[in-house]
Amino acid sequence: MSILSTGAQVGIRHQAWWWVAEDGAPPVVPGFVHSSFNPLVAAVADRCLGEHYGKPPEPPSDRGRTGLVLVTRGGDRASAEHVRQTVAGGGRLGPLFFFQSVPNSILGYLAARWGLGGPVLCISPTGSPVADGIAEAAVLMSDGDADEVLLIVAEQAGSEGDDGTDCAHALLLGRPAEPAPAGDRVQYPEGRTA
Amino acid sequence: MASIGIAGLAVTSALGRGCAAQLSAVLAGAAAFSPVSRFDTGNRRVTVAATLPDVASLPVELAVAVADACTEAGLGRPERSSTPLFLAVHGHPDVPGQAIGLAEAAGLAGVARIYTAACVSASSAVAAAASLISRGELDRAVIAAGYLVEPDQYALFDAGKALAGDGVARPFSRDRQGLLLGDGVAALVLESARSAARRNHSPIGWLAGWGRAGDAHHPCQPAPDGRGLARAIGSALARAGVAAEQLGYVNANATGTPMSDAAEAAALAEALGPVAARVPVSSTKSMHGHALEASGLLELVITVLSLAEGKLGVNANYLGPDPDCPLDLIVDGPRQLAAPYALSLNSAFGGANTALLVRAA
Repeated sequence: MSILSTGAQVGIRHQAWWWVAEDGAPPVVPGFVHSSFNPLVAAVADRCLGEHYGKPPEPPSDRGRTGLVLVTRGGDRASAEHVRQTVAGGGRLGPLFFFQSVPNSILGYLAARWGLGGPVLCISPTGSPVADGIAEAAVLMSDGDADEVLLIVAEQAGSEGDDGTDCAHALLLGRPAEPAPAGDRVQYPEGRTA
Repeated sequence: MASIGIAGLAVTSALGRGCAAQLSAVLAGAAAFSPVSRFDTGNRRVTVAATLPDVASLPVELAVAVADACTEAGLGRPERSSTPLFLAVHGHPDVPGQAIGLAEAAGLAGVARIYTAACVSASSAVAAAASLISRGELDRAVIAAGYLVEPDQYALFDAGKALAGDGVARPFSRDRQGLLLGDGVAALVLESARSAARRNHSPIGWLAGWGRAGDAHHPCQPAPDGRGLARAIGSALARAGVAAEQLGYVNANATGTPMSDAAEAAALAEALGPVAARVPVSSTKSMHGHALEASGLLELVITVLSLAEGKLGVNANYLGPDPDCPLDLIVDGPRQLAAPYALSLNSAFGGANTALLVRAA
């Protein structure tokens, strides 16, 4: 691990998982093609938000200060490999691959669908993906740029340490009911504190 | 007010290597675009980008930038060993390992976070590091970011018809046709005022505020009313306790994309009110191109250099006004800085927006 204990300032309001081996392939998301990565992110987010809030608001509203943080090491491996092979072969790419070329795009889809107007961030984990994501969410909430954060951790099969199936975990984070003690410090692998 | 010292910086782009090269180019309005020779563009609509000749690999360029920024900040081995790295690059499974290697080579404490959030990656890294410093959780941080024009992203932007068909980046201009990509590698040392004073080190400038917000609008199009960027600007100003009238410059995100530039102008109007029409604005992307994940740091460094010089860079390649962008653009030559604060703005796919507020030392 390389982070941090500021997660103590964060409470978990709800969490959900999507394991393709148990839950099946995630539903297709309009405008996203070729890869299971973006549908996986959308499915686990919809499950988490849906179980906590019910249906998406019509029109989207109410949660204007909910941020989105996606933690993924491999990202959309299938699309990246398709792009690499096509370009190396001198071919042309379809325009949809541009629109889904960064993981921000599926977060933008979710933000529009659920009315989430907080910060939009993607990070690659330096240690525990959930710990990294909670730490980033804590920074956003401590700064006042978000009141709550939907944290999503997602990896496609083939990622280091996976069990051979796509999997994702979503956590809706908010401030804890009781304030955590102040004074937490960023911590590093060797136990040093900054 | 939570001012964080900018203790050292380093930068490379197609405008040249080092701070002096960036500053002289943006003040002269000298764009660095040329036909791409780094890889084959024979199958692409557009064949132009801002690339630096004889550039090394991205890990090597990042290592040079981090070392130079630490040296300029006067960080010796003891200071580096307690300073973490915040890195902003395009996501790839190899990135965490590369980040660890970069931190180890520079003698840094470790990797605090890796941002892969497209065109707000670097600015988000700056905001997070500043937040931790302002709350006393860190004394200082090194933020590094890099993108070098390469064939895969180039092909994707070409396929999406995002690149300027006329081969010229014209932010906020009438008849603008899109963006052009460009190299960018930068590193910055942020430090608390108390830590800098303890080392008797004088900052180059101050990071006074930061804000981030989302549009909640579309996977890859900005909200036409610029609402997310407006809230990010408002957050940065409020955090610093700075009024819009104290702004002397905006280094805009503007890429030269018709819809995005108009949305940014709407955001400035919403956030700044009447000041939006009279604060000097330019987009230095008109000269160094869009450095994607590194754009936020490259443009922040240029903004800090401009404040330190007291002169503001040009919005190059301007053909004439667009009624959807009613701004005071710097088009005829560099301007003198007339008020102390500047904003550096960035937006990305997903409706992500950031605002960084700086002032000269």
